[in-house]
Amino acid sequence: MTKLLFASLVVGGLLAQAGTVRADDAAASSNNTASSGGRRTSGLADDVAVRHRKLLVAGRFELTPLFESTINADFRHIIGGGAKLEYHIGDMLSFGAIGVFSTGLNTKLVDKVIDTLEADVDDGTREPSRQEFESRLNSMPIHGAAYISLTPWYGKLAAFGAAYVAFDFYFQAGVAFAQLKSDCPDNICNDPAPGQSRPGPRPGDEPIPPDNNPNNDAPLNSGQRLGLYLGGGVHVFLSDFIALDLTVRDYAFSDNPSGADFNADLAVTSDDSRFIHHLFFGAGLSIFFPTKVKRTN
Amino acid sequence: MRAFHRNVTVFVGLALMAATASAAPKDKKAPEPEPEIEIDPTAEGGGADGGEGGGEGGGDGEEIDMGAEETAPPSDLSADLAASEASGPVVQTGELKRTPLSWQDILVVVRKPFLKARRTELRPFVGTTMNDNMVRHNVIGGELAYYLTDVLAIGVEGMYYQAGFREPFDLIARQARRLPTVNEYKWSAALNFHYVPVYGKFAVLDKSLVTWEVAFTAGIGAGQSEVVPRDTKFPGFTNLLIMPNIGANMRFFLTKWLTVNVGIRDYIFIDKFESLDREMYGTDIDMAKQNGESTLINNVMFQLGISFWLPTSFEYTTFR
Repeated sequence: MTKLLFASLVVGGLLAQAGTVRADDAAASSNNTASSGGRRTSGLADDVAVRHRKLLVAGRFELTPLFESTINADFRHIIGGGAKLEYHIGDMLSFGAIGVFSTGLNTKLVDKVIDTLEADVDDGTREPSRQEFESRLNSMPIHGAAYISLTPWYGKLAAFGAAYVAFDFYFQAGVAFAQLKSDCPDNICNDPAPGQSRPGPRPGDEPIPPDNNPNNDAPLNSGQRLGLYLGGGVHVFLSDFIALDLTVRDYAFSDNPSGADFNADLAVTSDDSRFIHHLFFGAGLSIFFPTKVKRTN
Repeated sequence: MRAFHRNVTVFVGLALMAATASAAPKDKKAPEPEPEIEIDPTAEGGGADGGEGGGEGGGDGEEIDMGAEETAPPSDLSADLAASEASGPVVQTGELKRTPLSWQDILVVVRKPFLKARRTELRPFVGTTMNDNMVRHNVIGGELAYYLTDVLAIGVEGMYYQAGFREPFDLIARQARRLPTVNEYKWSAALNFHYVPVYGKFAVLDKSLVTWEVAFTAGIGAGQSEVVPRDTKFPGFTNLLIMPNIGANMRFFLTKWLTVNVGIRDYIFIDKFESLDREMYGTDIDMAKQNGESTLINNVMFQLGISFWLPTSFEYTTFR
């Protein structure tokens, strides 16, 4: 994910450089023509890039029913549906919120591992049983974000020389939230003090040392999470008020998806959670209100 | 601009070269353009004054030099003036036939700022795996493609892979006490065909325009993978893979000889992994390979590259 974001920054930087190059070319061209007699002078270099442009987003609400799925999830695919509501203050700036209800599906990796695990719990071994492994994996029933969005690029394209459509690229940043859930039954997650000594059954008894068995610890990967949200996507306008919305979203927050011992201290504690990027791909159909668009001068 | 209105005949001569500028007037000091323009069709292509448009697009039967605009030497004001005086004033004879023409009738078709036909693209790139949660393969590669037309190309590519384990590889070993069965890729090469059906442009911060296009790729190639043994006392083995691929990428035009490419490619192949009963075959690599487990793999890669185009420039073959 970090590399993808870095790659995006590189591309963005190069494109910004391209803009500079073209602006310089225009200025140079203008200077050249002026020095050659002033026959071909133009103020186009100082003008906006596009005139009489449809303001497809400015001053409009955007309501987007959408589908979302994780990209390359480790243990569980999170797949769900939801909606995005956004208001475009101007042509480039907007703010909005997104909420998604989803379910979790085991990845192929989990299926392969489970098939090889022992069927019944055996505390004499270090390996988890099938139920111990699977029941501590978490899912994400609800997630979403509140964000501000920047739309620096807009344009139009021709597909197969026939279909002409407008599009824009946007980038979002904000606050992510998620509701995480895992269901480890009491007969599995029954260690009352993971990683800690317990007092003996009677006063004066030696304390009971930690069992050093993370397989019977509570996974500690349920509950509410707040974090960072980053996104980037494209609107492809099918009409003046309907657009296909394709987005890659990163909900980053503290999590321990496997619910197991991450730091190898033989206990599952809050220290096993770490800041994780949850990468999603989303596809939706945006409807803009009001449905009629204005044009620039 | 006022002189332009006074001498309609000169305008027609200039129009061939200055169509873009005249169809998109931007002189704020000039009065609003007339709703209609009256032109003299008898002067069409005449350009008798030897102006830029007349000199190239004149109707005197000479062959039109399409490349003149790109190869012409820098203008010399004194030479232009001398040539203008030598050609003499414009002489109109006969009755003028006036045809109304409105601004709306003038179509401005901007030429593509980048032509690829009969050019060679050299594209070094880097990439990384997108859909493998056990092994991340970073690649460095290159492609040489020749564009038969502006939308069709054929090329060859090669990639060298560098593998690294991702977090779940260690987690599964530590938490589930299982050693994952994985292969790493070593190299690949392919013969590719490219088709460019989508072409567009976009404005960056409402200031400058950048043109871009979308290309689809399909190809066939070969590669090599190597088994990572679960038990290091057993040697790994390599597989020769038949690797068709499909993909799409976006190309952003920076200069006449430089573009930036961002794309996704899916390399599809059947790979052979170490079997669960590897111990039965010991160090017998042939038997281990023969009894390996074959699986269909989709190796989806994100690629980022820059392209250098040869020749570094090009000439238009159509009017502006």
